[in-house]
Amino acid sequence: MNDAALAVAQARYALKGFLREPRTFVYTLVLPLFLLVILNGIFRGRSSFFRLQVPFAVYYTPAIISYQIMLAGYSSLLIAVTTERERGMLKRLRGTPMPSWIFLAGEIMRTVVVVAVTVAVLVAVGAGVYHVPVQAHTVIGLAVYTVAGTACMCALGLASTRACATTEAASVAGPFITLILGFVSGVFIPVSMMPSWMLDVGKLFPLEHLARGLQQAFAVPGSTGITAIDLAVITAWGAAGIAAALAGFRWQPHDSW
Amino acid sequence: MSDHAIEVRRLRKSYGGVERLHGVSFSVGYGEVFGFLGTNGAGKTTTIEILEGYRARDGGEVSVLGADPAHAGRDWRNRIGLVLQESELNPVYTVRETVAMFARYFRQPTDLDATIASAGLADKAGERVGRLSGGEKRRVDVAIGLVGDPEVLFLDEPTTGLDPAARRGMWALIEGLRRAGKTVFLTTHYMEEAQRLADRIVILQAGAIAAQGTAEQLSRALGHGTRISFLAPPQIGPAQVSAAVGTPVEQDGRWLGFHSDQAQRDLTALLGWAAGHGVELTDIRVSPPTLDDVFVQLAVPAGEAREDGS
Repeated sequence: MNDAALAVAQARYALKGFLREPRTFVYTLVLPLFLLVILNGIFRGRSSFFRLQVPFAVYYTPAIISYQIMLAGYSSLLIAVTTERERGMLKRLRGTPMPSWIFLAGEIMRTVVVVAVTVAVLVAVGAGVYHVPVQAHTVIGLAVYTVAGTACMCALGLASTRACATTEAASVAGPFITLILGFVSGVFIPVSMMPSWMLDVGKLFPLEHLARGLQQAFAVPGSTGITAIDLAVITAWGAAGIAAALAGFRWQPHDSW
Repeated sequence: MSDHAIEVRRLRKSYGGVERLHGVSFSVGYGEVFGFLGTNGAGKTTTIEILEGYRARDGGEVSVLGADPAHAGRDWRNRIGLVLQESELNPVYTVRETVAMFARYFRQPTDLDATIASAGLADKAGERVGRLSGGEKRRVDVAIGLVGDPEVLFLDEPTTGLDPAARRGMWALIEGLRRAGKTVFLTTHYMEEAQRLADRIVILQAGAIAAQGTAEQLSRALGHGTRISFLAPPQIGPAQVSAAVGTPVEQDGRWLGFHSDQAQRDLTALLGWAAGHGVELTDIRVSPPTLDDVFVQLAVPAGEAREDGS
């Protein structure tokens, strides 16, 4: 079996395990759908967004998609890999002839599949239930931001494993950081209702740019929402994440050293 | 350095400026089951992890299958199998799925079902790992260690925490590996295990080799010979028996006992004395020397050794 085929087999294996965890199912599919339904239930009517008045569903559907990309790409990957490391699973893998990158590629591919499926479900529910228009420009922006955002979040998730010495730390840090960034990025509360300093903080982080880019793709007529600044911030964070992950990835559990 | 599967010379390792391995040397022949014994903290895990390529050494030479584990690559890893001390398995996969995934990592894996069967898991192949007992999980570890058809298998405390039945099952498995001609590097802190399984034994103590040889050599060289023990009436103390048999007698709870290099002579003296004095000895036990005696003798630092007789 060549290495590319081995990486695919590793991804399939990781996905199979992922789908067998009931917790996973709740966090990665039920939670974002629940958020979409709740937020669209609370806020009725229209929100101002970039001097446009758009239905709340058009605001929230892309916002929850961006949140889901961070939840699955960053938080869930961070927890999964930290857990496997602390249980000594990564150490065991390092003792086999498999090159280390294959394990990481498998985890990333597994995450990409999960993101792709859940984003598709969110778009379908947004369009089908809340009448969010999905046009060609929307699909282009959605594809570009989903790919860039997932890559960025995976890199940051893997980089963050180094900072989490225990499974518990990762299980707190991942969802908590995602939640905080969700608030300052206008995922839950429309930006028109938020103080400007909070938005300024949010703009420092990739989720805000992911959310904003996706929202433009959905809300602005004829626009893919792809802007240099949003893609640049997402890419810069992703590159920093890759550099940090390469420099400091840890394979050994903490109790053994 | 290639006459042996494993060759270690003057191996040294320090942590935080404190030397924990003080120039350890030993070798393991091809096809040998090698017992590496020591109490917790003796340096067993440090040594095995250096041999497995997980840790860097500070000094000395190490060769496993002719290569330095610190710089060995994928080809070398294809030829060794590891059973780590603390490495969990994902509970959501079945035994077969787990072993099959590891088989893919190796260039020439063994037959999957045969490996699972040889680990004694044929009827558990479809079971999820999370539903297995501790002993069965350890067998999956061994199956994973074997699935690459390694020339050398490292077994780091394979029976620690197992119940007696599971331990005997693991022993049978390791005996099967010996018959299959595998080189096995076994660490354990159970003397009985090394004595039963290992062709040769090294006892590590505080980072240095305290003794080495076959089980028989070790117990003869370091043991006290045959152990004779019995229950005597309360009024009989160790001093009286000691005078009769001419060797120091120890008291351990209700038991009296002594070590003898000439069991027949000393037993005759003991029984003659007892008959002559109307003393009724019960539960008389005569046990051959065991490695446990060697281990206890070595593991107890000099000066703290149990006081012998009167």
